[in-house]
Amino acid sequence: MSDERTPDSPSGDDDHGGTAVRREGPLFGVLAEFDTPGELIDAARKVRAAGYTEFDCYSPFPVHGIDEAMGIRRTILPVIIFLGGFAGTVGGLVLQWWCNAYNWPWNISGKPAWSIPANVPIGFETTILLAVFTSFFGMWIANKLPQVWHPFFRAERFNHITDDAFLIGIEVRDRRFDGEATPKLLADAGAISVERVHFDPSPAVRVMPKWITAFIVASTAFALIPFAVAAKARTSHSTEPHIHIFPDMDFQPKYKSDQAMDLFGDGRENRGEIAGTVARGSLDADDLFFRGIEHAPDGDSWTTKFPARLTINDQLMKRGKNRFEIYCTPCHGYDGRGMGAVPTRVAAGGGAWQARNLVDAGNPVVIHMPNGQLFNTISNGYNTMMGYAAQIPHADRWAIVLYVRALQRSQNAGLDDVPADHRSGMQMPEAPQ
Amino acid sequence: MSTADATMDSHHAEAGKAREAFRAVTRDVAWVAEAPRPHKAWLAALAVSLVLLAIGLYSIYVLVTTGIGVWGNSNTVCWAWDITNFVWWIGIGHAGTLISAVLYLTRQTWRVSINRSAEAMTIFAVMCAGLFPLLHTGRPWFAWWMIPHPNDMQMWPQFRSPLMWDVFAVTTYMLTSILFWYMGMVPDLATFRDRCAARGDKLRAIIYGAVALGWRGSARQWHRYERAYLILAGLATPLVFSVHSVVSFDFATSQLPGWHTTIFPPYFVAGAIFSGFAMVFTLLIPARHLFNLKHIIKDEHVEAACKIMLATGMMVGLAYATEFFIAWYSGNMFEGFTFINRAFGPFWWAYFLMVGCNVLVPQAFWFKKVRRTPIAIFCLCLLINVGMWFERFVIIATSLARSFLPAQWSYYTPTRYDVGLFIGTLGLFFTLFLLFFRYAPVIAISEVKGAMPEAHAGKKHQP
Amino acid sequence: MSVLQKSLHPDEKYKAGKLGQGLSRIGLGIAVVFFAISILVVVFSDPETARNAGHVDHATGEPAKWARFLYDYVIGWSYIFSICVGVFWLVLLHHLVRGRWATAVRRIAEAMATALPVVFAAGLVFVIPLVAGYDNLYFWAHPDAALSPTLAHKLGWLSPGFFAVRYVFYAVVFSAMAAYFARKSRQQDESGDPKISETLRVASGPAMIVYSLVTCFAAFDILMSMAPKWYSTIYGVNFWGSACVGGFSALGLLVLGIQRTGRLTHSVTPEHYHDIGKWMFAFTFFWAYTAFSQFMLQWYGNMPEETVWYKYRLFGDWQWVSIAMLVGFWAFPFVFLMSRWTKRIVPSLVFFAVWQLVFHWLDLYWNVMPSYDWTLEVHDKARVSAGPLAGSIAYHHVGFSPIDITVWIALIGVLLFGIGRNLRGNLIPVKDPTLGLSLAHENL
Repeated sequence: MSDERTPDSPSGDDDHGGTAVRREGPLFGVLAEFDTPGELIDAARKVRAAGYTEFDCYSPFPVHGIDEAMGIRRTILPVIIFLGGFAGTVGGLVLQWWCNAYNWPWNISGKPAWSIPANVPIGFETTILLAVFTSFFGMWIANKLPQVWHPFFRAERFNHITDDAFLIGIEVRDRRFDGEATPKLLADAGAISVERVHFDPSPAVRVMPKWITAFIVASTAFALIPFAVAAKARTSHSTEPHIHIFPDMDFQPKYKSDQAMDLFGDGRENRGEIAGTVARGSLDADDLFFRGIEHAPDGDSWTTKFPARLTINDQLMKRGKNRFEIYCTPCHGYDGRGMGAVPTRVAAGGGAWQARNLVDAGNPVVIHMPNGQLFNTISNGYNTMMGYAAQIPHADRWAIVLYVRALQRSQNAGLDDVPADHRSGMQMPEAPQ
Repeated sequence: MSTADATMDSHHAEAGKAREAFRAVTRDVAWVAEAPRPHKAWLAALAVSLVLLAIGLYSIYVLVTTGIGVWGNSNTVCWAWDITNFVWWIGIGHAGTLISAVLYLTRQTWRVSINRSAEAMTIFAVMCAGLFPLLHTGRPWFAWWMIPHPNDMQMWPQFRSPLMWDVFAVTTYMLTSILFWYMGMVPDLATFRDRCAARGDKLRAIIYGAVALGWRGSARQWHRYERAYLILAGLATPLVFSVHSVVSFDFATSQLPGWHTTIFPPYFVAGAIFSGFAMVFTLLIPARHLFNLKHIIKDEHVEAACKIMLATGMMVGLAYATEFFIAWYSGNMFEGFTFINRAFGPFWWAYFLMVGCNVLVPQAFWFKKVRRTPIAIFCLCLLINVGMWFERFVIIATSLARSFLPAQWSYYTPTRYDVGLFIGTLGLFFTLFLLFFRYAPVIAISEVKGAMPEAHAGKKHQP
Repeated sequence: MSVLQKSLHPDEKYKAGKLGQGLSRIGLGIAVVFFAISILVVVFSDPETARNAGHVDHATGEPAKWARFLYDYVIGWSYIFSICVGVFWLVLLHHLVRGRWATAVRRIAEAMATALPVVFAAGLVFVIPLVAGYDNLYFWAHPDAALSPTLAHKLGWLSPGFFAVRYVFYAVVFSAMAAYFARKSRQQDESGDPKISETLRVASGPAMIVYSLVTCFAAFDILMSMAPKWYSTIYGVNFWGSACVGGFSALGLLVLGIQRTGRLTHSVTPEHYHDIGKWMFAFTFFWAYTAFSQFMLQWYGNMPEETVWYKYRLFGDWQWVSIAMLVGFWAFPFVFLMSRWTKRIVPSLVFFAVWQLVFHWLDLYWNVMPSYDWTLEVHDKARVSAGPLAGSIAYHHVGFSPIDITVWIALIGVLLFGIGRNLRGNLIPVKDPTLGLSLAHENL
């Protein structure tokens, strides 16, 4: 730190080198050093009063009072940060509402889908997060940093900016800059040294080095590779299985039903039923209920009764009617006479086929059939009728048998079978002409 | 003429002394990073931390490949060391933000000597803390589902859960701490850059220069920087309150007696500041001694921290007393039982350790003699850290081990992997801190200079 | 941070003179007039409104028509108590951390804090009837309370006698602490002895501890026990937060009022108002934080013994008051007090101070009044659904009465009377070592 109070002798404004050995580029500005922060402030005031605007003060720490001296306007950063924070609040609350209350509402322990008290903590955090980002990035952007190079760095004195030096720099592009008056103003303001700072003589130095550009391009390209791979994977097809990084018990060393397996000679995983065994709950020992067969000392016969475990009541009858109408009427018809929808359709097509008439008094085969045999027919089928054992549970089959008996009675009833108090409401068919 | 010269000479001499003072600060802090060979103690400490870190990495490997069963967590005590450690580490992190932000807002200039290290500690502590919720999920590779992202299953996070609030709070805290710390460091990184450039150390100059973003100390830039710093400090303050409050919500939103109590948020925050300061000074007391920083991290600063620890310790004590009183007042037999059980149940030993270290130990800080004896403060800080660990453990384990259904009552014993992981986080923390200490500006050089009386040299006094 | 110091302006008027007397007279006048109005309103009101709210004299069966007056009295009393408590915190903190900015206003804060003896004396208006057997103020004093198993065990603590003993304890402790700090501060006016600052600093540590405990337990006793079956550990802290909002707002208004009389015009600057505004802002936020913690945790846990208190405040009539508090006590002042300028421009600060003082009262009103409507049905001796936390939501309506306001204003008058008595001598600690720093105080 020198004690001189006169400006340094200029080494030439333009490319003409003076007494200095190296050539200098065009003049960038003038740099003046001051001893103390107080002098810096006073000098800044004078520089501003003289009408300069393209000047700045440099110090290792923020000097209090310099803002007023330089006339620095208050930054609007706080307003922007407030808006950023507000956006964070809105964003956080909308995110939670949309995900948990609108797009897929869940009932979590009875809380309302849009639980505002429960959304406050995250809403608060998103407010702070966005405000912080706005502060941080906003400040650097407003300060135009990163800017790793500045012409003043060429001055050796400038190296002490971050240590103990207090400098004012006035740039050539200021309207009031004058090669003589400006350094004099600074010297009169108390500068302990005034220095001219020039751009580097070789313009190539001011350009970004090629290797940095190459590095940026290369690293950006590399950084895009994962995205490119992902994009390709999302838009193409593959017959290969997914890459499974964490197996997660997804591939289990066990055999699944009916797989091929080479442990056994027949190559099957399914070893079939074991002879002499019945699946638990499938014994079906009660022959009467499950097969309609009654055992007597003199032999087996179809039962003429209904199984004891069934209560013969209106409810069973209704069930039987319901099941009959579902399973039996397509062929046998609603009246049981054998002209259901299927035979009708066959006839409409020119053919002739009829299901068995269940209620024919003239040919009373079915009427005289025992209950057990009817049950057996429903279960196992007869001729073209398939067996309905797989579709109709045993109790329902007995209900159908019950209903068939009722049909048989009702389809062959006479006027005497109608209760007296119902007769008056009946419509009698017209006598044939 | 000669008198003017003489005045000028004395003025220059004064200014010269001021500038020498600034240079001394720069030198003293930069010396730590510029020493050609690291201090032997630093190397030894680093070696130990790396060993601890290795133990931790192995514990993580076993945990991730085998499962949570390698821990001592059981059906009733489903949270134990994992969540204790999480809360403990986050609490430690809070001191850094408090020193940076709250002491800045309350114009306590003594913070400038310790705020940089404290902020670094916050970041490293939050990193250690974050490991636990991540690993305790059992399948940490699915953790990315906690961040809402478009997917074809309409699978969104359950935002009403305090565990989700934790994700946002800790992430925000982490990011804010990093940004605040980095922003504060930029002028000092510029100092390092310039020193390396002056010495001709090109590689370091480029590295420091890149991260210093080209900072040149311009007043116009300082203006916006200061504003943003103030606002970040203003944002970080409610953030600090909110993060530990959200962590306390993990417990307080439940219905377990001993967990479900409204005072948890401020009580946890006070406890966090308490344990955080204890950790900061556990580290800084030896560091200031070994690295000759006693004239920057002064005895008065350490004393002020002791008073803060005493105050926050008393707040924690007040919360204990309130909880105890209300447990009786409420007439809720489960609540009453829980508090009796804490003192006389299977974890009575942990409870008395906790009360001893948190309430009794800080009472020593009433005495100035203690506040000015670094070795005593160091030991007391260690005990406080232990006490605060046990506080979280007592809260978690006693309420779980003796909850509503007696048939479920059990005990908890940690396994080697519980212990290994905890040791590993200590290793991670100390490794990162030692690396920071060696390579980064450990004291906020520009802030210290700004706080020195010499910063006002040459200013005319106002009438 | 500035090391600049300023000395007291040579023309500065810092003697109280007749100021204190004037304020006391105004306060007394307000109190007398508004108490008279309140009494007249009660005397000429329909006593059946009290019976409809479940307040009946147990012995005679007559409606307890003074019940609402006493409820309003407790609310108003808690209001003036809380203002003194809030302001006293500034005094204690200032000494504890060797604060600088507040020295210029500290004497006024001390004057407010030392109004506590008058405040506690005024509180006897509800304590004495309680001890004498009035059972329509606190339900735990009512004979039916003993029928409830959850209440029975705490009736030793919540009994009129023990309550009164604790009340006297709080009165003595608080008054003594405030008086000590004020007296020592005045001593320093004579001698300028810096050791006095040191003594006060050392005393402020234990004082803070006692202050915290006494404030919490006073809040539990006087306010939380209005709904004796309910409880919240953060209640005391929440009360303290609200108290500090009120305290700092009141301090700002009082300082401004004093400046309007031509005193302290040079010493108290917009910088000090800025700091008072910062504390108002900080405590507005802190109150919201504690109030939200209490609410959200009890809402989330959804335990009926806790949510019943909120049930009456979040549905029916009281929900509008709750919303008003959310917006008025927190959101609006929070957003606007964030900016520098609302705190530095004195009319703006005055607006927010008055606003917060009104909403601080509303906070206390909201805390207490929904518990005014008692249900006295006894289903059987073993299970009692009775007291303030019973009955339908519609039953707990906002039954606004003019005495809600007049009693409040009357008690403000009592506070002003109490403060006026202490505004004597120097209005600024003239020989405090930190005064110079406080006068030169500048915010960034």
